[in-house]
Amino acid sequence: MAAVKETIEDVKKLEADKYKYGFTTDVETELAPKGLNEDIVRYISAQKNEPEWMLEWRLDALERWKQMKDPTWAKVEYPPIDYQDIHYFAAPKAGAKYESIDDVPEEILKDFEKLGIPLKEQEVLLGVKGAAESAAEARQAPKVAVDAVFDSVSVVTTFKAELAKAGVIFCSISEAMRDHPELVKKYLGSVVPTSDNFFATLNSAVFSDGSFVYVPPGVRCPMELSTYFRMNAEGTGQFERTLIIADKGAYVSYLEGCTAPMRDENQLHAAVVELVALDDAEIKYSTVQNWWPGDENGKGGVYNFVTKRGDCRGKNSKISWTQVETGSAITWKYPSCILRGENSRGEFYSIAVTNGRQQADTGTKMIHLGKGSTSRVISKGISAGRSDQTYRGLVSVHNKAEGARNFTQCDSLLIGDQCGAHTVPYVECKTPKAVLEHEATTTKLSEDQLFYARQRGLDEEAATALLVNGFVREVLQELPMEFAVEAQQLLKVSLEGSVG
Amino acid sequence: MGAITHTPAEKTLIDLLDGAEDWRAAARDAVVRFGLPTKRAEAWKWSDLRRASQGIETAGQARFLINGETAADRLTVSEDAALELVAEPGISVASLEIDVPAGARVVLKERYKLADGAFPTARLEISLGEGAVLERVVLGDTPQDSIPVVRTRIRVSKQSHYRQIALTFGSKLTRNETHITHAGEGAEVEIGGVYLLEEGRHADFTSTVSHTGPGGVTHQLVKGAAAAQAQGVFQGKFKVEQAAQQTDAKMTHRALMLDDRAEIDAKPELEIYADDVQCAHGNALGAIDETALFYMRQRGLSEVKARAMLIESFLAEPLDMISDDVLRDELAAILRQRLGAIG
Repeated sequence: MAAVKETIEDVKKLEADKYKYGFTTDVETELAPKGLNEDIVRYISAQKNEPEWMLEWRLDALERWKQMKDPTWAKVEYPPIDYQDIHYFAAPKAGAKYESIDDVPEEILKDFEKLGIPLKEQEVLLGVKGAAESAAEARQAPKVAVDAVFDSVSVVTTFKAELAKAGVIFCSISEAMRDHPELVKKYLGSVVPTSDNFFATLNSAVFSDGSFVYVPPGVRCPMELSTYFRMNAEGTGQFERTLIIADKGAYVSYLEGCTAPMRDENQLHAAVVELVALDDAEIKYSTVQNWWPGDENGKGGVYNFVTKRGDCRGKNSKISWTQVETGSAITWKYPSCILRGENSRGEFYSIAVTNGRQQADTGTKMIHLGKGSTSRVISKGISAGRSDQTYRGLVSVHNKAEGARNFTQCDSLLIGDQCGAHTVPYVECKTPKAVLEHEATTTKLSEDQLFYARQRGLDEEAATALLVNGFVREVLQELPMEFAVEAQQLLKVSLEGSVG
Repeated sequence: MGAITHTPAEKTLIDLLDGAEDWRAAARDAVVRFGLPTKRAEAWKWSDLRRASQGIETAGQARFLINGETAADRLTVSEDAALELVAEPGISVASLEIDVPAGARVVLKERYKLADGAFPTARLEISLGEGAVLERVVLGDTPQDSIPVVRTRIRVSKQSHYRQIALTFGSKLTRNETHITHAGEGAEVEIGGVYLLEEGRHADFTSTVSHTGPGGVTHQLVKGAAAAQAQGVFQGKFKVEQAAQQTDAKMTHRALMLDDRAEIDAKPELEIYADDVQCAHGNALGAIDETALFYMRQRGLSEVKARAMLIESFLAEPLDMISDDVLRDELAAILRQRLGAIG
């Protein structure tokens, strides 16, 4: 069938040797000595001029982490990680944060330019030079504010002045600690507690940079915010921490992109992302994850072990996760929603592609606590080569969550007979006043549409292809424009012949 | 992690299996090292056996009867038979291996006769020869205060047909495990399950079907209903090995929650290594359709009656897999009677 052939060819294009972000950039880098102990934590904290309470917080996390063991329940295999053989801090020399874009070393700007993230934008639109005069003006042209994170530090954040006009705080988390300690203190660790899991605890001890966003009550953030993570230095890991707060009635859309050079070693990426949505607020979080996946023999690649969780704390709040996962040697990632508020809503849209020797164990958790909370999970997995992919999800409805509603659909497609695709959904329900549905076949979902398409003269295969293609497009459409283009290039795949 | 402190039930079980050989020795070793499974064990996360067995201290007796006679450890069954698991109070172990020869057609009626406080852990191994047809109909009508743990392994050869229909009303903890190795090549597996749980009861249907050869067909349908403080658990897993191309497997679990404090937990799992397969699973949980209830009451039925009819029509579907009409009607009648009690 033509559609399947196209799919195979498109996936082939994604193969290891086609990774175009595998270059390294020569930047003078300051590295912390390898290893993890109290001194390193103090070093990181000192590098970032952190307040005393932050250091205490980190040291507490380190103590807890020492008592913990690597999780083994995910369906991924890798040799034990030597946590003492990693540089926990790497920063380009000559200062962490640049006052003006002009001070950013040319190599780094070029690096981001090569990645398709021009930090200089058009000079006029540049945050550091001259911002738009009003929020209304800013809305005229669609813009994206970027926080660029290079190894362990945020090198530049664009459009800050313009965002400040709307009252939006968008900066690196290190800056936020200094400039807005009350917000950081209040929310940091309130969604993902310090000792939540092995990797989150590790992150709490050694996290370097990441983004901080606060959108004040009633404000619709005038532009897309984004962070671009770039791992460059050898023998390092990246441990960023992102905290996004949408106050009452606020709205923000946030994009995240990531790449790393091709190396023979396995680099560790253990991030934590916390989202907080108060009453009537909405956060839309999109990721295009394209870390170096390793070569076709499984040598090298990034271990992507991240904890992402959103807390729909207020009534009518909404958090939506959209992810396109094509990179990393191993992915261990479950963006989740705690639906605490009445009538709150959680969404998870995911497309994951594994190829070569990649392994991915990914999915979501929807924890329904509030009355009338609803959630929707759409996951599409495509396995090719000798890869292995697992969807692991939990839908849990507590007895107070009357009127809760969940719809889950997860489809997988295998290309070739050397790969694996697995589905492990957990469903826990403690109230009869909830309706939970889990579906796994494409044809079953769209029986009516199929009938309709066939009535119009399409044969069954063409009709199915049409519907499935339309459906994937719908998931892609959840991505903001800027990412949709990139994602589509990564994912020109149809989901013919899906299996549960 | 240091050595664990054993509960009285664990100590009794360890003593009971002292000096045992083969699988019993392995079982004893597992209990010595880890104790009975708790909710921390992935496969038992919704069925905490260690907790349920608290208060059980003595050893009991359990045995299998075949057509009313005590069964030998291993036997061949080539015609219809009645199998019974009988257990006295206390913790006990029973085991039986059954061969169904090539080409035989057998209906196996299975019943549990358990005393209050009985905690039998039973191991049943069934092997189907080529072209054999086995229909196993299990009725789990057990006292509230019992803990039946029945683990069945079934080897399904090519061209053979295995059909299992289990009806259970649960107990303090009921675990019904079915593990099937499916050779494919014309072989077919059907698994039907029904659980109806009155207040405070628990039932756990756990199954794995491993497809090892090409062209296997598997159909699984489990339906359940749980009243207040009852807990229904469904853990189904289909594994499709690389050699098992053209496998056609479908798993469905649906459950009704009859009361505010009911709980249903489900984990329908697929593990697939072959690309040319049709595998699907569906899971749906909800309450009785109020519209249907309203409609029936409009037609003059009392609420109790209308509810019972709706639950019955919902639950009875897997029983239709039973090929023998008399046997099917018998189980349907037992189900209806219990529904009257829930009313």
